[in-house]
Amino acid sequence: MPVRLEITLRPDLFDPEGATICRKASDYFGIKLTSVRTINILTIDANLSSDQLEAIQRHIFTNPVTQISSYAPLEIDFDWILWVGYRPGVRDNPGSTAVEAIEDLLGLRFKPGEAVYTSKRYCIKGEGLKLQDVERVARELLANDIIQEWRVYSREDWDPEEGIGIIIPRVYLDHQPTVSVIPIESDDSLMRISNERNLALNPSDVPVIRNYFLREDVIAARRIVGLKEPTDIELEYISQARSDHCNHNTFKGKFYYRDLTTGQFEEVDNLFASCIEAPTLAIKEKKDWVVSVLWDNAGVGRFDDHHHFVITGETHNSPSNMEAYGGAITGIVGVYRDPLGTGKGAKLIAGTYGYCVAPRDYAGDLKPRLHPRRLLDGIIEGVRDGGNKSGIPTPFGLVFFHEKYLGKCLVFVTAVGLMPAKVQDKPAHEKTTSPGDLIVMCGGRVGKDGIHGVTAASETYSAHTPAGHVQIGDPYTQKKMHDFLLEARDEGLIAFITDNGGGGLSSSVGESARYSGGCEVELEKVPLKYEGLDPWEIWVSESQERMTVAVKPEHIDRFLELSRRHAVESTVIGRYTDSGKLHITYKGKTCAYVDIDFLTSDFPQWRFDAEWRPPASRGLFEPVIHEGKEYNRLLLDLLARPNICSREWIVRQYDHEVQGTSIIKPLIGKERDINSDAIVIRPVLESEKGLALAQALLPTYSQIDAYHMAACTIDEAVRRVIAVGADPEHIGGVDNFCWPTIQYHPKDNPDGRFKAAQLVRANWALRDMCLRYEIPLLSGKDSMYVDGHLEGKYGETHKVSALETLQFTAVGVVSDIAKCITMDAKLPGDLVYVLGITRDELGGSEYYEHFGYIGLNVPQVFPGPFWKLYLALNRAIKDGIVASAHGVYRGGLGVHLALVAMGGGLGMNIDLAQIPREDIERNDTILFSETPGRFIVTIDPRDKDAFETILRGIPHACVGSTIEDERLLVRGLQGNIIISSSVRELKAAWKQTFGELV
Amino acid sequence: MNEVQVLVLTGFGLNCDRETAYSFRLAGASASSVHINSLIFGEVSLDKFHILAFDGGFSWGDDHGAGVIHAVRFKYRLGKELRRFIGEGKLIIGICNGFQVLVNMGLLPGFDGDYETRLVALTSNDCGNFRDDWVWLRTNEKSPCVFTQGLDFIELPIRHGEGKFYSDPVTIKRLFDQEQVVLQYSMPDGRLAGGVFPFNPNGSFQDIAGICDPTGRIFGLMPHPEAYNHWTNHPDWTRKKEEVKRRGKAINLDVTPGIRIFQNGVEYIRKRFVS
Repeated sequence: MPVRLEITLRPDLFDPEGATICRKASDYFGIKLTSVRTINILTIDANLSSDQLEAIQRHIFTNPVTQISSYAPLEIDFDWILWVGYRPGVRDNPGSTAVEAIEDLLGLRFKPGEAVYTSKRYCIKGEGLKLQDVERVARELLANDIIQEWRVYSREDWDPEEGIGIIIPRVYLDHQPTVSVIPIESDDSLMRISNERNLALNPSDVPVIRNYFLREDVIAARRIVGLKEPTDIELEYISQARSDHCNHNTFKGKFYYRDLTTGQFEEVDNLFASCIEAPTLAIKEKKDWVVSVLWDNAGVGRFDDHHHFVITGETHNSPSNMEAYGGAITGIVGVYRDPLGTGKGAKLIAGTYGYCVAPRDYAGDLKPRLHPRRLLDGIIEGVRDGGNKSGIPTPFGLVFFHEKYLGKCLVFVTAVGLMPAKVQDKPAHEKTTSPGDLIVMCGGRVGKDGIHGVTAASETYSAHTPAGHVQIGDPYTQKKMHDFLLEARDEGLIAFITDNGGGGLSSSVGESARYSGGCEVELEKVPLKYEGLDPWEIWVSESQERMTVAVKPEHIDRFLELSRRHAVESTVIGRYTDSGKLHITYKGKTCAYVDIDFLTSDFPQWRFDAEWRPPASRGLFEPVIHEGKEYNRLLLDLLARPNICSREWIVRQYDHEVQGTSIIKPLIGKERDINSDAIVIRPVLESEKGLALAQALLPTYSQIDAYHMAACTIDEAVRRVIAVGADPEHIGGVDNFCWPTIQYHPKDNPDGRFKAAQLVRANWALRDMCLRYEIPLLSGKDSMYVDGHLEGKYGETHKVSALETLQFTAVGVVSDIAKCITMDAKLPGDLVYVLGITRDELGGSEYYEHFGYIGLNVPQVFPGPFWKLYLALNRAIKDGIVASAHGVYRGGLGVHLALVAMGGGLGMNIDLAQIPREDIERNDTILFSETPGRFIVTIDPRDKDAFETILRGIPHACVGSTIEDERLLVRGLQGNIIISSSVRELKAAWKQTFGELV
Repeated sequence: MNEVQVLVLTGFGLNCDRETAYSFRLAGASASSVHINSLIFGEVSLDKFHILAFDGGFSWGDDHGAGVIHAVRFKYRLGKELRRFIGEGKLIIGICNGFQVLVNMGLLPGFDGDYETRLVALTSNDCGNFRDDWVWLRTNEKSPCVFTQGLDFIELPIRHGEGKFYSDPVTIKRLFDQEQVVLQYSMPDGRLAGGVFPFNPNGSFQDIAGICDPTGRIFGLMPHPEAYNHWTNHPDWTRKKEEVKRRGKAINLDVTPGIRIFQNGVEYIRKRFVS
């Protein structure tokens, strides 16, 4: 009989979770709650005796020092009770660990169908609290109806004997698994079925697919295995592999680019090949540290003679937009499987995040699914739990606020790994499958998760339909698998490994079988979360925390033994062959039989019209502003802006020191609260080498020209790692594009051609910058369709397209970590230098945005001179004569001089007249222009000559000095002091915006 | 074998095993990472080790209370071996999640040789969130704790969501009376934090960050000494390096206070068990 155990903190103990709810209810909705007490509920659906129940209550689920518990409802005072629990099929991580603990303590195994479900009951008190207030807290703070159910009880409703009752969100599918055959009489009929079944086949692919299945040799071969027309599983397989997500059809498409002002026309064939692959291969020729790029789940670069680093970046936008916590945790845990599935497997050593969301205090008329504030909270927490519980440091991240992300938020996640150069004397970055190798699926089980992603969201719920389209990542299961697989790798048991992400087994087995030249899969062997899945669902399910591994038959016993030790489920589901066929059976019957090279055959290339109009011809112009006098107040206001100010509250929730590798931390300086330019870790504890990493995104520049957006973004990321001491010759990049839909449609996407031109231009910038800076693109991903349709005030809907966004990651090796430097001014009396020329480039700047302008003069990169400067600075850093170095980024010199002073807890005396500049005679332009390629450097006065010798021929100037008096003093061009602000005051402004958040 | 042998646990979501083993090696010991199941399955015996490290991480995802399931499993599967280990006068250190495990097993506070009863707890931080920061710690020189001998005032990182030390007033008084309180959160100038956030990062009663058993051989602490294994782990190292350079001196490359904690344990064993 199922029972329900309620557990809560002893009444005299402070309830931090309850207190947080009170605070948020008040901050977000102005609803005053006097107290919230949290009760954790375990609903145990298993046959246990009363002695057994008592034992688990006492030994596992109740802390005698802090908690009380009861199998009857706990009596806690309330005005309202709110219960929140998961819907059927949603991953319940604590529920699973509860089963593990109970099984372990009692020495028994749960039977199929038995389970533990967790939920929460909140006892809420508040004067005059109304039903709609509690419902609002439920709906907008504590529960997301996609994955959770909630109930509200008033005092009258509540039955103290019955409590919430026994709620069992068990998945029960009354369904006999079947394989369907899809008729292919005509292109139209196939397309119709594709639409009905959400196959999402591209209309231009349909004839190619039909022709294949109508080929005589194909028909003959299929007849032997008992197949005629294509099965659902075969079409699902083709559809998955041909999706833009898996195949990058947009980046591999053909663009007809036309400059409408000059009439210039260019046919751009395959952005991936021309702007990513070609430059990277050219650079790889020159740089022998580039080990493995462009084919595997992540890129590989040499760290030292015995180790390689591995890196990749992903986005998880749509799921996070639906269920922020679940989407984000699934994103970060998911990207961690990429390095783990690179070569023969890499250990994870760092993760980073980038969030683009609408303003936290958005109060406009549009109604996004989740308010930006709640969305951001959920994303932050998802990445927190995903990273921290994986034991992987999360030392770097970006947050960018802009209303254009109201339609869809962006969640970037990046993963860095480390592998030995060799495993059992063979290169660790190489892998292959061979005929006879066993196909092993490791990790989690398969359910209806992630099948057909977002389309499922519109289906109606019944009480026992799994809410599978939004997942909740399970870092605990994955951490166990990670440890297991690395041990198996070191014993030489892994021939090939890849992760199960988008497309599930369909992708992982389908792609890995291309190496051996075929495979046979017995789908009924795949372990399921619950019965009733159709074979095609098993094949394409995106259930998380799974890897596909090729294991030689002679290694399988040892592999499975290690798997048992690590409490990881591993199952042989088939074998690789050289038959040339993807051959799937279900209970002995063939349900798919497709040529393995069919997917590499000639599918039509996607085509896009791209029309460019230069910014001036689009009506952009420089605003007419005459300088004001109150620079003090202006600087303070800029420092407080959400895209400039401190976000310490996020950084501190993320463990950035686990693994004991933290060298340059995300927050540094005298009071350890200013953002560092980049982070540095020491991934090999026995070594004095380091890995520097930084990211950048500057999407507001896309409003003027995405070419310069991309160029500046790449420059910033590279400049950041240079600033801490990374070796300029040993820097790699990762590009992550997030773009709104670029396919023109007269009604639905009238500016599609322009967005397509922006994409082409951004790729050109990527190509140009990588070639000039010699940055190989170790990895990268694109995420298209970042648009949303939001309801407005009158029930109408509006399409909101995200800004064209590129996140660029720079990763560089540091040969000696003891030479690393930080951005904070170190000692009074040091000389302050500005390196690089400041130009009149306020277009898209924070300064213009503060006044509501975009402007025209977008910042531009001059790669040649910039690179010379970076080499010189690196020389000076290596010579040990740089006390601090800091790039000038968003907000310009004004903001970044202030940050250097704040970091050091020192004042500064600065003379704007000394700043190297081109055609600028205005204080505001000098202070807030966002020209790239610049640094602020402080040095010991005794090192002046040595420093200037190194910088000979490079634009630089000593612009002042640091001073004991903790004031930032800036003398304007007219010779008078225009800024005189204490460092305390600057810091208070910079911290106030999000200062209340923890 | 005349080396000090350290067993560092791994598996089930623990995640500080590598740096903890590395730190013990720096301290002069031989350290092995051993999966919890290897002990339970009998593939590895606890008997051949001198120091047992319950390292940090999220054992069993920290669901149902940090360290709770780990403690139950260890207590019921390996209780006998553990009691023998303690009885032989060997050392146990529990760091962060490991500290949570020690208090949930009842190894701490271990009053009157009772290594079963749970008397103290590490519960959710008052700030309501996980927190990563460096803290200042005052050590108790009168404490019998083997690991902190010779240390007075140190800095270490904390990284936890459930580190608030809690117990009843009688137990807390007894911990102080018996000098079992080993580490307390402090201000940068050495005064006790007095519960003030973020110096006391979690709301711990009496600023307690670490305690030992009455013998001083079992030690649990929330901060992470193994994450201060290199002088460049310290948040101020670039500042200190520059200051030292200006005085024309070289940076002190002695082992860090973090490693000193492990050295104390290794030295203790070397004197008594190995020679």
